[in-house]
Amino acid sequence: MSVDVLIPETTDAAVEAFGDGTDITVIAGGTIVMQLLNYRRITVSKAMLLNKAGLSYLRQSDSTWTVGAMTPLSDLLGMFSPLGACAANVADHEVQYQATIGGNLCAPTPPEHPSGDLQGPLIALGATVRSVGAGGERTDGVEEFLASRAGRLVLDISFETPQAGAFAALDRPHTRHFTALAVSGVKSGDTVRLAATGVGPVGVRLLSAEAAAGDPEAAGNAALADAVLRDDALASAWYRERTLPSLVARVLNEIKEAS
Amino acid sequence: MKVVGARLPRYDGVGHVTGQTQYVDDVRVQGMLWAKALRSPVHHAKITHLDTAKAEAMSGVHAVVTWRDVPLLEYGHLSALGIPADEPLLAKDTVRYMGQPIALVAADDEDTAQAAVNAIEVKFEELPTLFDVRNAFDEGAPKIHQWGNWYPHFEGDMDRRQIRKGNIEDAFDRADKIISGVYRPAAIEHVPLETQVSLVVPEPDGRLTIYSCTQALYFSLAVVAAHLEVPMNRIKIVGGTVGGGFGGKVDTATETLTALAAMKANRPVKWRWTREEEFLVSSTRAPWHMEIIDAVTEDGWILGRKMLTLHDSGAYARFSPYGLTKHSFHHTGAYTIPNLHFDGYVVFTNRTPTTAMRGFGVTSISFAVETHLSRIADELGLDPYEVRLKNANRINDTSPNRIRYTDPSSVEVIQALSEAAGGELAPAYAGATRAPREGEMLPEHLIGQLKTEGH
Amino acid sequence: MNIVLNGVTVAIKSPPLASLLTVLREELNVTSTKVGCEQGGCGACTALVNGKPQRTCLTPIAAVDGASVTTVEGLGDSDHLTAVQQSFVNHYAAQCGFCTPAMIIAATAYLEGNGSSDREEIEEALKGHTCRCTGYQKIVSAVAAAVAETTFDLTVTTPSPNTVIKSGGQT
Repeated sequence: MSVDVLIPETTDAAVEAFGDGTDITVIAGGTIVMQLLNYRRITVSKAMLLNKAGLSYLRQSDSTWTVGAMTPLSDLLGMFSPLGACAANVADHEVQYQATIGGNLCAPTPPEHPSGDLQGPLIALGATVRSVGAGGERTDGVEEFLASRAGRLVLDISFETPQAGAFAALDRPHTRHFTALAVSGVKSGDTVRLAATGVGPVGVRLLSAEAAAGDPEAAGNAALADAVLRDDALASAWYRERTLPSLVARVLNEIKEAS
Repeated sequence: MKVVGARLPRYDGVGHVTGQTQYVDDVRVQGMLWAKALRSPVHHAKITHLDTAKAEAMSGVHAVVTWRDVPLLEYGHLSALGIPADEPLLAKDTVRYMGQPIALVAADDEDTAQAAVNAIEVKFEELPTLFDVRNAFDEGAPKIHQWGNWYPHFEGDMDRRQIRKGNIEDAFDRADKIISGVYRPAAIEHVPLETQVSLVVPEPDGRLTIYSCTQALYFSLAVVAAHLEVPMNRIKIVGGTVGGGFGGKVDTATETLTALAAMKANRPVKWRWTREEEFLVSSTRAPWHMEIIDAVTEDGWILGRKMLTLHDSGAYARFSPYGLTKHSFHHTGAYTIPNLHFDGYVVFTNRTPTTAMRGFGVTSISFAVETHLSRIADELGLDPYEVRLKNANRINDTSPNRIRYTDPSSVEVIQALSEAAGGELAPAYAGATRAPREGEMLPEHLIGQLKTEGH
Repeated sequence: MNIVLNGVTVAIKSPPLASLLTVLREELNVTSTKVGCEQGGCGACTALVNGKPQRTCLTPIAAVDGASVTTVEGLGDSDHLTAVQQSFVNHYAAQCGFCTPAMIIAATAYLEGNGSSDREEIEEALKGHTCRCTGYQKIVSAVAAAVAETTFDLTVTTPSPNTVIKSGGQT
């Protein structure tokens, strides 16, 4: 069971080695793939480690931020809400040093749980994802990317500094790699964008709640129309149904206060 | 008296902080193989086909153990007490819970062992399942255990643990009020940081050295020797340092199978469960179903208690009859109730077999009794501490199994609880002691108790 | 591949995707890093990688080629405990001990980062570490005392692993 492991030392080399993504397992921080390997859930014939590929960077130009795919969550902790607050809510310090924003966007959906907590704030921020793969380089909105991420290698993610933002999540009795339910909100101009994780296989934009954003309570109830609720080991659909509205309302109230 | 009251260092403290403490997984021996188990992917089924040929032929595989390799397939955790055995070490023709072991592979490394497990051909014919103890007695309930749906081997071939004390009908006749409640604490996993693990080394003289994380070393010794049908002096168990147990390492979980694999391969074998196995397969604290019906007076005396307990044993008996017995002895909690009618059943379900956990059998009843005492106080409009202090055990009161209390601490504990919670007791209760009952604290129904108990 | 393990450069032969945990335990016989869950959830495998605490079970060895790795074996020995180690002994912060080496690694990183003796901050720093025995209070107290460099009145102030505790009846 020999494995071909590539460790490209430039971004160009990583892009070339990735090709169209066929039969290659990308390891960013390792916090997802290593669990699967430890439990012998996947077999890997060719793997690429990105730790030397020059993809860890956080650039700011005026109000535009560009974050390299290999940027660890620990580098995002001081950022504005909902992104900074969400990063701080992921697992614990050790995992935050290792886990990356690119890996989080590509987190697979296990049979039960949605994972990839950062998908929520990035959808709310209206971020764009620059990726390569079959057909070359592409820049998509986060939702488009999530719908077509197979065979893509994330290079970086861009977004604007929001006017105001907020994040609310279910409390956890102990640290977890992903959160049972979390809501992110971002205000820009007169509109508020809302997104949630834990209510579908990937992060979900809460369009119905956005339409009712003027009334936080009504928006909370409207959010249920955007969610596909399931039971898993962390929370039942019943529990999620009762907590999603209050998290949405909390986020909207916080944004109101902040702006 | 240099030691009593002194703060002494833990004898193992320095070993712990320097990483020198040796747990089973830290023991190093040459030529060690790794084991992985084939486990049932279904809750209840007939095994219709089991073929290990492909696994055995794989390079790097040194032993595949199935039920055919076990000298004594069934040996119960309470067999030494004369209680019949019901659980096979490896499933033979039936699996009764998800994760039940069917085969164990020993190979050069864990990858190879797992690949060999995946190569074992096994087929099942699924059977109806039973998960809720409340359905076990239904006509038409799935029959999930060879003895029926509940344990039939209490003393005198009784199918329940039964307690009868005093005159229960009379107590209910005299009651001002009947107060009932149903209490259902869930299963709990022990979650030791160290998962189940053992390392077995076949020695040149034919003996086995077993490094085990067991909490019950001599117990494991007897269980392993019985299954292998060898004298105990052929087995040396090395234990002592356990990475957390909490009762979950009283069962002999890995030692016997690892020993069989080591004997078959004639190489040292280590079997270390994954965290997932620990959660899904290792035994848990039992879920319980408890129904309490109390005959009470308006001023808060409990005259009598009728109780039904269904102890969810999971798929096999293991220690459950013992746990239920302890439970029954404690079913009045810290309180004296002279008239009792208790029936408890060890019920089989297609869940992971349950076992000991801190306060085996007693935490469940303590939860139920204390909740019920608060319910009684609430329904009667009385102070919950005062209701407790009234009925609290005193010297010369008797337990459900007729033990006379000579040193009860109920009164002091309840008074301390009241104080800690910031409550203020009426003088009669603040000054109550555990001294034998007299005056207002010796109502008629308890005089009767003392008479029947002959004190 | 190689790593600088507790100050000594060692060559690594394990395959590139082997976890650092497996390399430490099975190739290098460094057993203070424990196999608790292999999912990054329990914290018992934590070591310092280039000075930062990291889950060795989630780290492919190839990703830390050339890195400095520190385990509790590299901190102090029985005769020269670090302040954190001594404080864990003095405050009874270890019971079964399985989580202890990794707790000490995380606490050491916390002290190195100028962590305060505030209990909430200590809890936050150790939040990725599970202990099933102690209820955490003594662990937090031990770290707080190590930060404050306070001592604790033990009858035997310099315990050794060979300390014999006689029963009350004999003394």
